[in-house]
Amino acid sequence: MSNHIVTSYDQELQNLRRSIAEMGGIAEKMVADSGLALLRRDTALAQAVITADQRLDGLQREIEEKAILLIAKRQPMAIDLRETISAIRVSGDLERIGDLAKNVAKRVVAIADQVQLQKIVVGVEHMNELVQGQLKDVLDAYATQDTVAALDVWARDGGIDALYTSLFRELLTYMMEDPRNITFCTHLLFCAKNVERIGDHTTNIAETIHYLATGETLTTDRPKNDGSSFATVDPQSSSQSPTKA
Amino acid sequence: MSATATAAPVVGQSTADESAPVRLAVKDLNFYYGDFKGLKNINLNFLDRQVTALIGPSGCGKSTLLRTFNRIYSLYPEQRAEGQILLDGRNILDPSIDLNELRARVGMVFQKPTPFPMSIYDNIAFGIRLYERLGKADLDVRVEEALRKGALWDEVKDKLKQSGMGLSGGQQQRLCIARTVAQRPEVILFDEPTSALDPISTGRIEELIEQLRGEFTIAIVTHNMQQAARISQFTAFMYLGELIEFGPTNRLFMNPSKRQTQDYITGRFG
Repeated sequence: MSNHIVTSYDQELQNLRRSIAEMGGIAEKMVADSGLALLRRDTALAQAVITADQRLDGLQREIEEKAILLIAKRQPMAIDLRETISAIRVSGDLERIGDLAKNVAKRVVAIADQVQLQKIVVGVEHMNELVQGQLKDVLDAYATQDTVAALDVWARDGGIDALYTSLFRELLTYMMEDPRNITFCTHLLFCAKNVERIGDHTTNIAETIHYLATGETLTTDRPKNDGSSFATVDPQSSSQSPTKA
Repeated sequence: MSATATAAPVVGQSTADESAPVRLAVKDLNFYYGDFKGLKNINLNFLDRQVTALIGPSGCGKSTLLRTFNRIYSLYPEQRAEGQILLDGRNILDPSIDLNELRARVGMVFQKPTPFPMSIYDNIAFGIRLYERLGKADLDVRVEEALRKGALWDEVKDKLKQSGMGLSGGQQQRLCIARTVAQRPEVILFDEPTSALDPISTGRIEELIEQLRGEFTIAIVTHNMQQAARISQFTAFMYLGELIEFGPTNRLFMNPSKRQTQDYITGRFG
């Protein structure tokens, strides 16, 4: 939406959009790199993710300042007000996504010299790839204010939750099988949780897009498949296949 | 003649009360300046003790609509209105309506303050004396009451005999509001009441309108969109003599349903 009578108003909104796009690009790369670093035990790449987070934090502060200034100066109405508020919200979600990716990267450094179970690392990386797809789609939907695409992302998060629950059970089982796995598995569990949280922030962005485009808040509950809060693994049955639970 | 307050006024409640009774109903209203049609088939209800803002670009008919409510247009022979405007169920466009009585029931405040060249006291008393015979003591009470409702009493109580023309612009406007209130009208029309005032005076008038809402039905024409958003419960957006959109102010400014409304309130209008 452009064509304000005051062109500098258009430019200010355009600047907000550009900064969000830049944040989105950085966040996407951080998520992808943190996954790769985990898979390849690449501590140099993990270090790059940690460093990139500073830029993301800086951009978020910048967007917040720009948005507040825009509200003070222009007193935006309707779609413009919703876009300004949405920029604040989305930049907050992207900043959190960066923090979570950074946390994965830190754990890559921490577990670098541990015994690693490549099979389960691949599981976390697979989940990470799904989340990357979600993040890309939601950022595209934001740029085009496509509420249908946003709702699609929103509905798909249930799959990531289900994957997380199964990884959760698997990791518990490995830990019970051999206490030497505990350090590594706990770090990996946090990595998986972080990726799952990134998925949640992605759905937050999808909800914001819906509000931005329609002016209405999504009130229906999102389909959730995260059963890890209730999941337990019985030690007596730990000899069974870890993925069966 | 006095405003009939049936329930306790709710001052400071900014959300629209859609269940409020209809005080002024506009039905199929058309308005002509000679051959030019200034209003096209307007249908709109003004609810009791709610502030309704009329917004739209210059020439959209918002002031024209306001001017039909007290038939001030009938000063000009080439202007005429067709349709119905029901004030408490009675059509005020009916030729048999007593215009003086109508204008006492429907007061109006203009863009530029219009104090009479007389004392502050007489500015208020003048209108009351036209309709009522009151003793000095009763008149004093009425003048004080009006000046208090106009949020001016504390500033002028020691200089009631001084000329109203000596007041500041904002004070003059509040004097005009007090003068209107003194007639004990049911409806008060504001035609851009703050566009000639500084921000502080504007704030005082907005505060005053908020208070008056407890007692009167208010219609206000304003070019200041933020002002409409701040002080009204309902907003009507007009364009080229037509009513484009009407609804609760909060909805209209956050999520208008018509593209034209959105383009106008966001400052994109061509």
